[in-house]
Amino acid sequence: MPASRLTVAKALGFAALCLLLLCGASLLLGAGDIGILPSFHALLGGQDDDARFIVFELRWVRTELALLVGVALGAAGVLLQAVTRNPLAEPGLLGVSAGASFAVVLAINLGASAASLHLGVAMLGALLGCLLVLLVTRLRGVGDDPVRLVLAGAAFSGMLGALSSLLLLWDQRTADEMRFWVIGALAGRPLDTLEWSMPGLLAGVLLALIVVRPLAALALGERVASGLGHHTQLTRLGTLLAVAILVGTATAAAGPIAFIGLIVPYIARRLVGSDIRRTLALSMLLGPCVLLLADVISRLLVQPYELPVGVVSAFVGAPILIAVVRNHRLPTL
Amino acid sequence: MSIPAFVQRTALAFATTLLFNLPLQASERTLDSANGPLTLSGTPQRVVALGDSALDAALSLGVQPVGTLASRGGNDVPDYLKAKAGAITLVGSVREPNLEAILRLQPDLVLASSELSPELYAKLSLMAPTVVPKGNSFEDWRITYATYAQALDKAQQGQQRIAEIDARSAALRQRLPQGQAISVVRWNPQGPVIMSSHLFVGQLLADLGLRPNALAAAQEKKPHSDVLSLENLSRINADWIFLATLNPDGRKALDDARKQPAFTRLKAVAEDQVMTVDGQIWSSSSGYLAAQQVLDDVEKALLD
Repeated sequence: MPASRLTVAKALGFAALCLLLLCGASLLLGAGDIGILPSFHALLGGQDDDARFIVFELRWVRTELALLVGVALGAAGVLLQAVTRNPLAEPGLLGVSAGASFAVVLAINLGASAASLHLGVAMLGALLGCLLVLLVTRLRGVGDDPVRLVLAGAAFSGMLGALSSLLLLWDQRTADEMRFWVIGALAGRPLDTLEWSMPGLLAGVLLALIVVRPLAALALGERVASGLGHHTQLTRLGTLLAVAILVGTATAAAGPIAFIGLIVPYIARRLVGSDIRRTLALSMLLGPCVLLLADVISRLLVQPYELPVGVVSAFVGAPILIAVVRNHRLPTL
Repeated sequence: MSIPAFVQRTALAFATTLLFNLPLQASERTLDSANGPLTLSGTPQRVVALGDSALDAALSLGVQPVGTLASRGGNDVPDYLKAKAGAITLVGSVREPNLEAILRLQPDLVLASSELSPELYAKLSLMAPTVVPKGNSFEDWRITYATYAQALDKAQQGQQRIAEIDARSAALRQRLPQGQAISVVRWNPQGPVIMSSHLFVGQLLADLGLRPNALAAAQEKKPHSDVLSLENLSRINADWIFLATLNPDGRKALDDARKQPAFTRLKAVAEDQVMTVDGQIWSSSSGYLAAQQVLDDVEKALLD
């Protein structure tokens, strides 16, 4: 169908253009005194030391981080909604975010200091949280039922979240260092965050690319997928693993950021239909778009202060989701 | 051991009674509290100090409270009061005092902080006379301290303690370089908050002839600013930066901060004029013992 292929190309081009513009905005706008013009000048090689520092050392770094986290969350959202066939599935629901947060709270509580913690602890927690959920459903022999999976995930997320809260209430010192792990933020992350998370993102995306074809077949039904020679169990497991890696990476890099993984797939399906091969690609562009938008707003709202992006992402995401829900017939999975 | 002290106190009270011939009962006094004038009599024997400032006042006046709260950012009595407080019963945290635990101690006086909620006041004042100092944390620390001293039947000693601090400040002021700008900052990795210069520490620093940083001076309603954007980190700049940390290991907070290039660009940091100080004193307490420690810290930073 050449006509539909054109729309896909158009949608991808549109998303890429948005992303480019938002990257520009992210480099030019900030909560500080360095406005658009001085920032632009610095980008073009101006010699103003302060402007150069703010544009290249602060805004550049957080823009890169937003790209990484946005891609990871967007891709994870699409994969999870596809594999669970549940439009309400959100990476947070699989016990992934809660696992990562809890692992870090526990580590800080046991005496580690937040800065010296490697992303590894958070990623390990994310994987463990996810595996725990998978294990429980598997033990009962109902692992194939996506709804039960999400329910088990919700239960574990609730429990891990409560445990984190308990530790926070118990140890006030932890509370001070921990605020970040409760509400995500892109600013002020250690400089090596990007290097640390890059392998996670690459591994997750690679795995996503491997499973996307069988996953598309699975959308047509179990039998069709088997008939086409795909291993359905393995496909599901691979997809969940990819989600855990992607969300674990994102959470470790920027703390828990809600809503992106939920709304981005909706926008994508609205633009190009429900074929996961298209929505995955589009979501990986739209994820960073929404996150960058939220981040830019988080800097402009309360100058000279900033809000954590984890707060703003919900404010930005909710109206978009409502608009999608109101406007048209809901695109189905 | 407590009997001679008690006898002594009673004798003193008698002497006062004879001397002034005014109060009907031994050491009756009326103090000005947030809930209107409060008349107390007798020397309290079982004091519960709710909050670091109240505990500081009691301990600095030689009174051993029977109970207190875990301080903000800790699970125990603040470190700087630990030795003096000895084995003291904890009756909850600053966020959540435990009424049952307080009742169990059978207090005859409760020293609360000025932030005590009206609901808690209503319940506490059923157990024992409850003193809530006037104003809020922006009040002159001397007034708060004097109110506690009065409640403890140590009004005169309290005035002496305040005079000691004033005298030490005046002497230290002579030796300090004048007009130096100071900022007191609490470090968070996403961005720091700057403490208002109108609180206890700011008042002490002003007495020393030190200037607050502009942003700190602008915090007139809230005890500290919101989280500053790293792009605006230069607004915490001053000749000297005091990093208040709730962590006993201040070194670590400074190391954290130094990992952030926006921090190392500050002039005070480049000139090594940054000092980590105990946040339990510098950002959440007040009183005589806290004041001595703040003056020690300033002396060490600016003169050594």
